[in-house]
Amino acid sequence: MISITLVVALILIGIFLYTTGKEHKILIDNKNFKVGEVAYNTNATYKIWIDNQEIGLLEEDERGVAMVAGASHKIVIEEMKDKVLTGEKYEKKFKLKTNERATINIPAMINDINEWIDKIN
Amino acid sequence: MKQQNLTKTLNPAVQFLINYAVPIIFSILVAIAIPLSGLPGDYLVREIMTRLTRNSFIILSLLIPVMAGMGMNFSIVLGAMAGEIGLIFITDWQIVGISGMLLAMLISTPLAILLGYFGGIVLNRAKGREMVTGFMLAFLMNGIYQLVVLYGMGNIIPISNSDILLPREYGIRNAIDLVGVRGALDKLISLKVGGLLIPVVTLLVIAALCMFIIWFKKTMLGQEIRSVGQDNNVAKISGINVGNTRVLSIIISTVLACYGQIIFLQNIGTMNTYNSHEQVGVFAIAALLVGGASVKKATVPNVFVGVILFHTMFIVSPRAGKALIGQAQLGEYFRVFVSYGVIAFSLALYAWRARVEKENDRRKAMVLKREILQSTNPAGGE
Repeated sequence: MISITLVVALILIGIFLYTTGKEHKILIDNKNFKVGEVAYNTNATYKIWIDNQEIGLLEEDERGVAMVAGASHKIVIEEMKDKVLTGEKYEKKFKLKTNERATINIPAMINDINEWIDKIN
Repeated sequence: MKQQNLTKTLNPAVQFLINYAVPIIFSILVAIAIPLSGLPGDYLVREIMTRLTRNSFIILSLLIPVMAGMGMNFSIVLGAMAGEIGLIFITDWQIVGISGMLLAMLISTPLAILLGYFGGIVLNRAKGREMVTGFMLAFLMNGIYQLVVLYGMGNIIPISNSDILLPREYGIRNAIDLVGVRGALDKLISLKVGGLLIPVVTLLVIAALCMFIIWFKKTMLGQEIRSVGQDNNVAKISGINVGNTRVLSIIISTVLACYGQIIFLQNIGTMNTYNSHEQVGVFAIAALLVGGASVKKATVPNVFVGVILFHTMFIVSPRAGKALIGQAQLGEYFRVFVSYGVIAFSLALYAWRARVEKENDRRKAMVLKREILQSTNPAGGE
């Protein structure tokens, strides 16, 4: 009985470690975005953080890449004008399943569009 | 003349010199090589700290088989291989950070237990020749490891990460970048004291293993292992299953070596798939012997003295070699020469000491016997 409990506990720990340690690729686009007939245009440079880790600056029409581990994440972006941070921050939380990658569009995220994140298996 | 030599060994000062010949010689060599190398003190301290955290765990894994009277466990290489297989899997699955490291430990544990069990059974069949058998066993398992990793992985065992697969789509590449787990344990909590970065968690893990070994010696199983180490026959008469106890000590050692190799490789950050484990046994054993351990007795302080002396020698020898002969390469050769040389010297010294002690015991017994005979029969000798 003890051995079975131990094996089950180890399997559960394994699943937990797999989920919390699984690396995901996230693409961040600072590009124009279109949903149906409505277009959301990019017009600024942004500084990006994911899970409190600085990813870097993204200028207009640029794409950035971030590697993150685990299921739950938080992205924070801050607008930059004339190479100075404006203090205007946008924050979103998202979850990823074990084999998912994601593409985040900044203009869509700022405008709170449902399609701001595209998750791909 | 022989009589004189044997009596000399009873002198405590000579006895001390004989017992600690290897660390004494090494301390002298290090004391000569440090100024010759011209390396700055802070660099030396930084390097020693890195090597202390990198190597201590795997060397500590050698202590329990010594306790069981099985000598230096050359088959820790089996544990190292198990650890590497765990690291291959987590790199394939892209599991990173401390979770990745712990998962590597978790998935390699059953494999290490299995290999340890197999190693224990084989070593039980070669009582009295455990060290050479362990050495050969490591070669055998290395062949099987290469077969599995070079042909099985990607063929029979699914591997999907093209970064670690050979271009032919099966078999693992020669070198794996462990970027996901690089410094996962070392950088978890680190303190900067002056220019020295202290990996707190790694040191705590090593301290925990030291405590475990000290505690383990006092447990029932620990006592049984010690009894087996002292005398197999007495242990057997006391009702201890000698074979099982020996197998258990090898399993524990193999599992600890598996974790030690994972800690070692997360510190290095890259893995040479086919030869990272090859020298593990030799270097760990050489370090332990340099620390003053013998085939019969090894303690926790021996591990740390050994790591400091042996690895200081490793750090300074290329530069000292260059200063002495003008060639750094010679210093590199010196490292390998020193590793094997220390093992050979310690084993020879141990064999010689055992012979001297046996001879001394025989002489003492003869003197005692003569005295008894004389006291019971004073006229006997006349």
